[in-house]
Amino acid sequence: MTQTASAAKKTASAKAKAGAAAKASAGPKKARTKKKQGQAFPFTAIVGQEEMKLSLILNIIDPRIGGVLVMGHRGTGKSTTVRALAEVLPSIERVKDDVYNRTVSQFIEMEKTGKDGKALTAADMTIEDIQVPVVDLPLGATEDRVCGTIDIEQALTSGVKAFEPGLLAQANRGFLYIDEVNLLDDHLVDVLLDVAASGRNVVEREGISIRHPARFVLVGSGNPEEGELRPQLLDRFGLHARIITITDVESRVDIVKRRREYDDDPEAYVKKWDKEQKKLQARILKAKDLLPAITMSDDVLTDIARLCMQLGIDGHRGELTITRTAHAFAAFNGDKEVTMEHVKEIAGLALRHRLRKDPLETLDPGEKIERELAKVLGEEVDA
Amino acid sequence: MDLAKQALMLLAVDPSLGGVVIPAAVGAGKSTLARAFADILPEGTPFVELPLNVTEDRLIGGVDLEATLVRGERVVQHGVLSKAHEGVLYVDSLSLLDSSAVSHVMDAMSRGEVLVEREGLSEVHPSKFMLVGTYDPSDGEVRMGLLDRVGLIVPFTTQNDYRARRQILQRNMAVKDAEGHEDTRDELNMVKGLLDAARELLPQVAMTKEQMQGIVQSALSLGVEGNRVDIFAIRAALASAALNQRTDVDEDDLKLALKLVLVPRATRMPEREEEVQDEMPPEDEMPPEEPETEDEEAPADTPDADAEEEQEETPDMIEELMMDAVETELPDNIMNISLASKKKSKSGSRGEALNNRRGRFVRSQEGEMRSGKVALIPTLISAAPWQESRKRERAKKGHKLNTALIINKEDVKIKKFRDKSGTLFIFIVDASGSMALNRMRQAKGAVSHLLQNAYVHRDQVALISFRGKQAQLLLPPSQSVDRAKRELDVLPTGGGTPLASAMYLAWETAKQARTKGTSQFMFVFITDGRGNIGLQSGMNPEAPKATKEEIEQEITGLAASVSADGIASIVVDTQMNYLSRGEAPKLAEKLGGRYFYLPNAKAEQIAEAAMS
Repeated sequence: MTQTASAAKKTASAKAKAGAAAKASAGPKKARTKKKQGQAFPFTAIVGQEEMKLSLILNIIDPRIGGVLVMGHRGTGKSTTVRALAEVLPSIERVKDDVYNRTVSQFIEMEKTGKDGKALTAADMTIEDIQVPVVDLPLGATEDRVCGTIDIEQALTSGVKAFEPGLLAQANRGFLYIDEVNLLDDHLVDVLLDVAASGRNVVEREGISIRHPARFVLVGSGNPEEGELRPQLLDRFGLHARIITITDVESRVDIVKRRREYDDDPEAYVKKWDKEQKKLQARILKAKDLLPAITMSDDVLTDIARLCMQLGIDGHRGELTITRTAHAFAAFNGDKEVTMEHVKEIAGLALRHRLRKDPLETLDPGEKIERELAKVLGEEVDA
Repeated sequence: MDLAKQALMLLAVDPSLGGVVIPAAVGAGKSTLARAFADILPEGTPFVELPLNVTEDRLIGGVDLEATLVRGERVVQHGVLSKAHEGVLYVDSLSLLDSSAVSHVMDAMSRGEVLVEREGLSEVHPSKFMLVGTYDPSDGEVRMGLLDRVGLIVPFTTQNDYRARRQILQRNMAVKDAEGHEDTRDELNMVKGLLDAARELLPQVAMTKEQMQGIVQSALSLGVEGNRVDIFAIRAALASAALNQRTDVDEDDLKLALKLVLVPRATRMPEREEEVQDEMPPEDEMPPEEPETEDEEAPADTPDADAEEEQEETPDMIEELMMDAVETELPDNIMNISLASKKKSKSGSRGEALNNRRGRFVRSQEGEMRSGKVALIPTLISAAPWQESRKRERAKKGHKLNTALIINKEDVKIKKFRDKSGTLFIFIVDASGSMALNRMRQAKGAVSHLLQNAYVHRDQVALISFRGKQAQLLLPPSQSVDRAKRELDVLPTGGGTPLASAMYLAWETAKQARTKGTSQFMFVFITDGRGNIGLQSGMNPEAPKATKEEIEQEITGLAASVSADGIASIVVDTQMNYLSRGEAPKLAEKLGGRYFYLPNAKAEQIAEAAMS
C-alpha cells in the first residue's frame, strides 16, 4: 500500500514526540485489542489478478481447501488484495468475548465447567456474531506472541502464572496471513507446520500447559526471487496462485487511476464500491449455502485421480484439494454438479506446487498440467 | 543537472513518493547530504537514523523491560520505525543492512504502520516515513524488494562525481554553517518557501491521459517489474510540475520521472515502436478531443499554449520523447545504471553457532536485558531466594511494597539460541583423466584452504568427486573438515567427465540439507568444465551415449535450476591456457557464479572469494 499523500506535515512534531518517549500502555488486556485499521482498498476494485482473487474466494467458501500461496512479481498488489479480503468475509458465531473464537459446543467441550465449578450448558453462554478474523503475522513476530505465553506482566506484578493467547488463538476459524512468507524464520515455520497439521496449538513452556484449537486458512505471499519456500510448508498450502505484472496499458492506467482516487479520499472510494462488495459477499454466502448439496459423479472423480497419477503427484492431498476446490468453484458459479469443466479451471491452482521437480523439465508446471488434463479428457472422448 | 538534489526536492514536495535511494562512493559526505535534506523540511519533522547493527526489538519496538521491572507495569518502547513516523528514516550503507532488518523496513513501508507482536505485546504503531538511503555500490546492491517501495532512485553514473554534486547540493539546499550567515539562511528560507508553494499547488496539478499512458508504456518497454512503479512515476512527474509552479505536466517533468523512477529499474533496453504497438490497443480508440480525464479536474488557469500542444500528442510520441531524452542525457547503456539488471545483493550475514536472538532456545545465562530475550522462569528462580531480604531492606528504606516480587537487574537471565544457518559448502571436484596430476595438487591446495576457512566459520562441508560414468558423494554434509581432507588426499583420477551427474548430485544434497534447516549454500566447482558424459549413462549402463548437444543441454538446465534455487557458485578453472575453449567461464556464467582461473589464482584468493 502506498502511503496516503500528506504533503504538509503540520502535526508531525507533536505526534512523533509523544511516540518517541516510552509510554506505559494503559488499561487491562482487553483494551489492547487492535483497533480496526483504516479503510482497506476494496477487493472488487482490484484490477486483474483473477487467479489470486478466485483462490481467496474459494477458500472463504470452503476453508478446508487449505489456504493459498500467492507468489509473484513485486508491486502487483499481493498484499493489497489479501488485506482487502477482510471486507468481503462473512460472519461467524462465537461465544461472546472468547479469545479462541470458539463455538458454543467447542467451548463446552474444552472448558467443561464454568467458574463456579458447575458443568457448562449452552444456556449459560452468550453468543455474538463476528466477522471471520484475518490475522496478520508479521515477520518480526516472536514465537511467544505467535503461540501465546505466560503473561509477563501478571507474573512480575502479582506472581500469578496466567496464559496470554497469541496470534494462533486469534486466527482460529479465520485467516492467518503471512506476507513475505518465504522469509519467515525457520523456527516459526516449524511451529506453523505443526499447528496446521493438527489444528491445535499446544503450549508447554515456562511451567504452563495449554492446548487450544487453531484451525485457520493459511494465506502466504511472497516474491520467489527473495527466497524459496520450504517444501513441507509449500505442501501445506491448498492452492498456489501465481501473479504477474499486468502488461496491458489500459489496465495499468486503470490501476493507477483507481489507486489515486482511493488515496485522495479512501472513504468516498470505498463507498463507491460498496454495492459491488455487497454483491460479491452475497454471492459467496450463497455458494457457502449451496456447497453441501453439490454432487460429483464417479467419472469425474476417476478423471481427477487419473490426472494426479499421470502427473506423478505423491500422496493424496492433491486429489483431495482438487476435489474440494472444484466443489467450491461449482458452488461459486451456482452449479449443482461438478463437471470436468470446473476441474479444468482450478486444476492449475490446486496442483501447480505439487509436481515433482525435475531439473531437466523445461515445461512450465501450468502447461504440463494442462497437457495431462487434455490427455485425460481426450481419452474420455475416445472411449 | 543534479539528479540527487532533484530527487530529494520531489520527495519533500510529495512524501508519498516513499523515499530516495542514492548510490555514492565512500567518503562523499553522505550524511551531510541527508542532513541537508532535513533542513529543508518543515520545522519539527522527525529525522531518525537507522544504525546498521539495529536489533529487531529496537527496530520494531517492544517491552522496555528495565522500565517494566522498575514500575511494575508494562512499559512499551517504540522502535526506530515508529519514531520516524511522518518524518525521515535515514540509512547509511543501505546495502549492508541485514536482511531481516530490510524485511521489517519493507513491511512498515507497505503498511504505513508497524505491527508489534513481541514478548506478549500486541500493538500497532503508525509508521509512515520517507526513506532516504545512501550506499556504496561496491558494497553490493540493495534488495530489489526494498527498492520497489522507494519511489526515487538516483542513477549512479561515474561522470556525475559525487563530490561536485555535494557542493551543488550544499549551495542549493543551503546547509547552515556554524556562523549562520545571513545569505545561507535566506537561501534556505527561499527553498523552503518554494517547497511550501509546491506542496500547496500539488493537488491541482493534473496529467493528461496520454501522458499517463506514455509513462505506463515506457515502463513496459523498459521491462519494469510490477505496477506499483507507474504510480511513483506519475507522482514524480506531478511533483516536478508543482515544484516549477505549473499545474500541468510538461516534457521535462516526464523526463525527470523516467530518469528517477523507471530507468533505474529497467530490465531491458527499450525496443522501439514495433513491439510496443503490439501490446497497445488501436490508437483510434483514444478520443483525440477532450483528453482530460473525467475524474481529474481541469486546472482553472491553464497558462500557455504549450500545454495544448502537449495534449495532442499520443502516448507513443510521449514515450519516444522520454526515451530519447534518456538516451542522450544519460551516459552509456541504460542497463549499466539499472539496479534491476545487476546481481542480487550479498546474502545475509554469516550464521553463528550460538546466539542471543533466534533459532532453537538452548539455555539461559546471565546477561544484559537488552542483549537478548529474557528467560523468565530462570529469572524468577534466581530472584526467589532474595525476596525476604529485599523486602526487609525496602521496608527499612520506607518504600511501599506494591509488588509481590522484587527483581533486580542481576537476576535477569537471557536465552541462548542455537542457529543452524551456517553455509553448506559443497565441493565438486573433477577427478577425470583430463585433470593432469599437478592441476590436481593445486586444486587440493585450494580446497584445503577453503576447508580451513569453513572450519573457522563453523560451516558445513560436503565433497563430491566425479570421474568415469557418475559422480560420487565422498563426504555427506558434516562439520568434519579432517575427513574431507582425507578423502581428497586419496582421490584417484582418470576416466570421463560426468559433470551433469555431479551437478545433479550436488543439488540433491543441497535440497536434503535444506530440509534439515540449512539455508545457505555454496557450490565450489573445481573442473575444466568439459563435461562429456550424460546423466543417463550413470544411471543406466544400457542408455545410448548422449550427444554433445544433449550433455550441453543437461548442464545448462541444471545450472539454471541451481542458480534459480538461490545457490551461489564458484567455478575454479583447471584448464591449461592453450587448451581452453572457454567451457569453465561458460559454466560460471550459466550458474550465475564467479569464475577463477586456477593457475593464476592463489589458494588464499579463491578461499577469500568463496567466503565473502
